[in-house]
Amino acid sequence: MRKTGKAAVLAGLFCMALLAVPRSVRAQAVAIVVHPNVKATNVSFDELQRIFKAEQQFWPDGSRITLLVRAPVAMERNVVLNRIYRMSEDQFRQFWIAKMFRADVAAGPKIVYSTESARDLVVAIPGAITFLPVDAVTPGMRVLRIDGALPTDARYPLRAR
Amino acid sequence: MRRCMRFILASMLITSAPGVAAQEHPAEALPQEGTPTFQGFLFGDVTYLASKRGGSQGFLAGQLVGHGNARLSDRLTFFGELSASARENTYLIEVERAILRYDFADELKLSAGRYHTPVSYWNTAYHHGLWLQTSVARPEIIRIGGTFLPVHFVGAMMEGTFSSRVGSLTYAAGAGNGRGTIISRAGDAGDVNSNRATVFSVGVRPRALSGLGIGGSLYNDRVPMDSVGVGERILTGHVVWDHGAPEIIAEYAAIRHDAPAGDATTSDGFYVQAGVRLPGALWRLKPYGRFENMDIATDDAVFAPNLADYEAVIGGVRWDFEALATLKAEFRREQSAGGERLNSLYFQAALVVPSTH
Repeated sequence: MRKTGKAAVLAGLFCMALLAVPRSVRAQAVAIVVHPNVKATNVSFDELQRIFKAEQQFWPDGSRITLLVRAPVAMERNVVLNRIYRMSEDQFRQFWIAKMFRADVAAGPKIVYSTESARDLVVAIPGAITFLPVDAVTPGMRVLRIDGALPTDARYPLRAR
Repeated sequence: MRRCMRFILASMLITSAPGVAAQEHPAEALPQEGTPTFQGFLFGDVTYLASKRGGSQGFLAGQLVGHGNARLSDRLTFFGELSASARENTYLIEVERAILRYDFADELKLSAGRYHTPVSYWNTAYHHGLWLQTSVARPEIIRIGGTFLPVHFVGAMMEGTFSSRVGSLTYAAGAGNGRGTIISRAGDAGDVNSNRATVFSVGVRPRALSGLGIGGSLYNDRVPMDSVGVGERILTGHVVWDHGAPEIIAEYAAIRHDAPAGDATTSDGFYVQAGVRLPGALWRLKPYGRFENMDIATDDAVFAPNLADYEAVIGGVRWDFEALATLKAEFRREQSAGGERLNSLYFQAALVVPSTH
């Protein structure tokens, strides 16, 4: 089976798994989605933090990572700020201003203003990574496991409390 | 001056545009092949000073700093920082940083230009953004315009970060012009002697203690004091905690000078700054204190004619009354060259204007 065929089957299985999980559980999980050409399928939580904090700016294949971050106010943004960044909104803003001012990064994350926009851009920008409410994941999207867990797993770390 | 102000304002207007476009038409946020992107900031401050030291007092307009990051391609970036500093009858315009950098990978980035020398944590963490730093002013050992540590560096740099589950290791290695004939300056128009300066810095951040940073640097140069010059070796170290409510920054620097006719001398300096963001409803307040000391060897061939021993105790409070603006009140008790201890009171408003966020 060709790679695209495999990806379609996996995406279909993932969506079927989503339907099998109670809505109360899956609605609060936040999926990490990457551009279809990104080779990674699993990241550790440490690696995810490094990527979101721009301490890691390149994928292992050498392509640049483009971070798409949902604008406030959104449940998935709150989860990412609380769990990955462990920062308040003010601290998050100061963090990126300092990063750019120190020339650690050429640009801050691209801000997206809707779930639809995040979905469109993550498949359009090579190397892109973003986060979506798990309900908003559609077939064909590439969802990363975190420490081996998918958003449907009970031990998945990105979940609203 | 007017041209510079126009440039800074025009840059800010240009950089504010992409954010608006992205909001109304998300598809426009897609990168266009070969189209550079630009993001910028404007930092500003106004300080009120009452002091028994003499010199300028009252309201000080401070620095207006424009900073821009231009991504010219996927891997090529230009970073620029311009400042306008108030002087008695004019403004001094200065190119603080101008760096062209090519990113090969996280572990290897090559660049050339004018930097803030990576010989001090403060110098590379806060640059000229007073809004970013907790206190009103820099410590004396790394003061802007000071001579103790070389603030600026003109040359080329290789830098990168190695990350693992244990933590991260960041390094920077550079070669450049070193100090100019005015030793507080960096030899912007070329090296004044045939001896290039070198700098190497390294820092580690363990993942288990998020917020802890430990690092150090080594800097070698020949200071153009006479026809031969004076050998200079700088060794620095720092320990910081910069995540969460507490903030601790401690730095030490020792500078050895080897005059051709005379013994080697070592002058040193350090500071320890601690602050804490208050909990609960008082989270916008951050009281802080700092002790600093600089000890200049009496027969130091480079420093003795210009610098004196210095000691200061500082206490203040920072009030982040808005997300992008802060007010600081600071009391400072200083002693220079073993003389009388003098008190000063500072009030400062500092802000940042980002193009996005």
